[in-house]
Amino acid sequence: MTTADPREISVRRDDVPRVGFFTDTTVCIGCKACEVACKQWNDLPADDSEFERGRSYDHTGALSASTWRHVRFLDLLEPTEERRTQAAEALASGAGGNAPSLPATHANGDGQVDVAEAVSAMDRWIFMSDVCKHCTNAGCMDACPTGALIRTEFQTVFLQPDVCNGCGYCVPACPFGVVDRDHIDGRAGKCTLCYDRLQDGLEPACAKACPTDSIQFGPYDDLVEVAAERVATLHRRGMEDAYLYGAGDDADETLAGGLGAFFLLTEPPERFGLPAQADSPIQEHVVPATLAGVGAGLLAVAGVAAAFLRGARRP
Amino acid sequence: MTRPRPTWPRIGGWLRSGGVPPAPARTDAPPDTAAERQATWVEPRRGEQITAAVGTPAAPGAYRAGAEDAGVALARPDWEDARWSYLYGPDTDYATEGPAPGALAAAARRMRTGERPADVRGPIVKEPVWSWEVPVYFWFGGIASGSAFVGLACDLARDGRSAATARKVALAALAPCPVLLISDLGRPARFLNMLRIVKPRSPMSTGTWCLTMFGNLIGLAVGSDLLGLHRTGRALGAAAAVVASYLGSYTGVLLATTAVPLWARSRVFLGPIFIATATATGAAATRLTLTATGLPEGHPTNRALQSVEAGAMLAELALSSINERRLGGLAAPLLEGRHGLLFRVAKGAVAAGLTLTALRPVLGRRPQAAVSVLYLAAGLAFRVAWVGAGRRSAADDVAVALTARR
Repeated sequence: MTTADPREISVRRDDVPRVGFFTDTTVCIGCKACEVACKQWNDLPADDSEFERGRSYDHTGALSASTWRHVRFLDLLEPTEERRTQAAEALASGAGGNAPSLPATHANGDGQVDVAEAVSAMDRWIFMSDVCKHCTNAGCMDACPTGALIRTEFQTVFLQPDVCNGCGYCVPACPFGVVDRDHIDGRAGKCTLCYDRLQDGLEPACAKACPTDSIQFGPYDDLVEVAAERVATLHRRGMEDAYLYGAGDDADETLAGGLGAFFLLTEPPERFGLPAQADSPIQEHVVPATLAGVGAGLLAVAGVAAAFLRGARRP
Repeated sequence: MTRPRPTWPRIGGWLRSGGVPPAPARTDAPPDTAAERQATWVEPRRGEQITAAVGTPAAPGAYRAGAEDAGVALARPDWEDARWSYLYGPDTDYATEGPAPGALAAAARRMRTGERPADVRGPIVKEPVWSWEVPVYFWFGGIASGSAFVGLACDLARDGRSAATARKVALAALAPCPVLLISDLGRPARFLNMLRIVKPRSPMSTGTWCLTMFGNLIGLAVGSDLLGLHRTGRALGAAAAVVASYLGSYTGVLLATTAVPLWARSRVFLGPIFIATATATGAAATRLTLTATGLPEGHPTNRALQSVEAGAMLAELALSSINERRLGGLAAPLLEGRHGLLFRVAKGAVAAGLTLTALRPVLGRRPQAAVSVLYLAAGLAFRVAWVGAGRRSAADDVAVALTARR
């Protein structure tokens, strides 16, 4: 799974492993240091500030050609009955390893704190630092007609800005909505996984800046291993919904062949603006679509010819 | 060993002077006239190297190590970040032991399959950035490929004069295509980068090469016709018609191979629908040209073109309605809003054209040119509606989420 497709345009070097990001949403504090670090290192322009663009305190809104890291804010303001029960059960079993300190306002008349009630009444605010997924089956790279998008020796997906002519095909070809074309610059832009830093043994700027190590960088296999341990730890503590988005799946259930940058999530993917299933649209659709199209084309040639021959035979 | 002169007394003096830094003495007042400024400021420095140290203005500096094997400060031989993270200390309980076999995949399966959750927070996929040039190119490219089909058919029916006209129509329709495609690029000056590789996997790469090949073939065919080399013209025209079967359909493939729900879910229909539109508009354009250049109304070629137009448009209507039924709710962008209206208007134009053709015994031959005009306009409207509806479909996060859940 970690070897590149030999048909891809790629830089090949055998002595370096595949690298990636493991982004753990359970330790993200939404400080956006990764966004700032990314912009600084890659010399990207600022986004114009617009309050509540992302329907939250998140001013960024989405990944774009000039925003390669985006901390998505997820406000969950309505504790459901199901969550209330879950919290009560988890606390009763003593599973809450580090139960948060409770606000005093939740004390009832007797001065007793109803812990389950208090936990379930807390609004949850989840953050996810979104980034290019550096897919194994990368839709953008399959789409690119100029060969600007390539696989690097680190098996990340890199857009060569000196080759891109801004055709815009990679934009709808990305099932995760990562790549975008800059309306001023004219070229597409996306995360490079700090290709320039990697070549000097430096970790990417966002991972370097992350104060809680929510963004972890390293050799891909090591990352998957620690991420799996993290999920198991969370499960054991009663956080049954924790799962990895993009790694550790069975071979027939992978997301785009496995994501080079994968995430630990605790909510359904749609809440984070992620598709539940994804693959390179090119690899998925190009063969049936082309067969149908060319078949219809040849049929049209034959049909037009038949109409004329019939007309010519008629007096 | 000499000790450096302490600088603090001077700073102290400045602070004591009331907080106002001493104004630097003006040693040289600017010369009064431009000629004097030139003589005192510019001329003495002529020939000095004043290029910026790294790169040139407004261009990125080239990436190059200062010396061979030069290290970068703080660089490590390999990345150890996941290993030294404080999260993994013995006392943190961050990630302690591995999962049971299959538990990891099962956890993901539980969250990623089944019913779509009610709460979808987009944007999930990006809207296509293509502007008006792209549907107009689809239209012109369709006319070019449809006319190439007609050219081959005319040759087979031994109507060489009409065949030559059809090929000229194809060349004329092809002429604006490169202009439209290049002006849609974000960096039009780099359009030749399209031809730096052949990439069978990318429909846009194959399409670009197909367009190039078709342009050369049809251009040479028209040239041969004009030079009186009719056999060569016929052969090149036939080759162009075969290439056109891809030129007319790859545009549909291009849309189908995206993450846009409306296009991706229509994947086996888009190519055939686009070919049907191409055939109808190509036949319509050729028929109008032939009529204008004096082909009589009762000529077999004219009659054949009429039936080709009508048949192709009927096929397009049939394929479209089957596809809409298949798509269900995902077809909404094609049926509602601005592009839905355009789509309905196009269907209305086709229906009007078909009615006029059917009423030919009653109405006589006069309105038949109007039929071709209606089909050409409907073809353009279909193209614009398909591209625009895709943009709206991509913006519909619920539809995208639903498509992704399978």
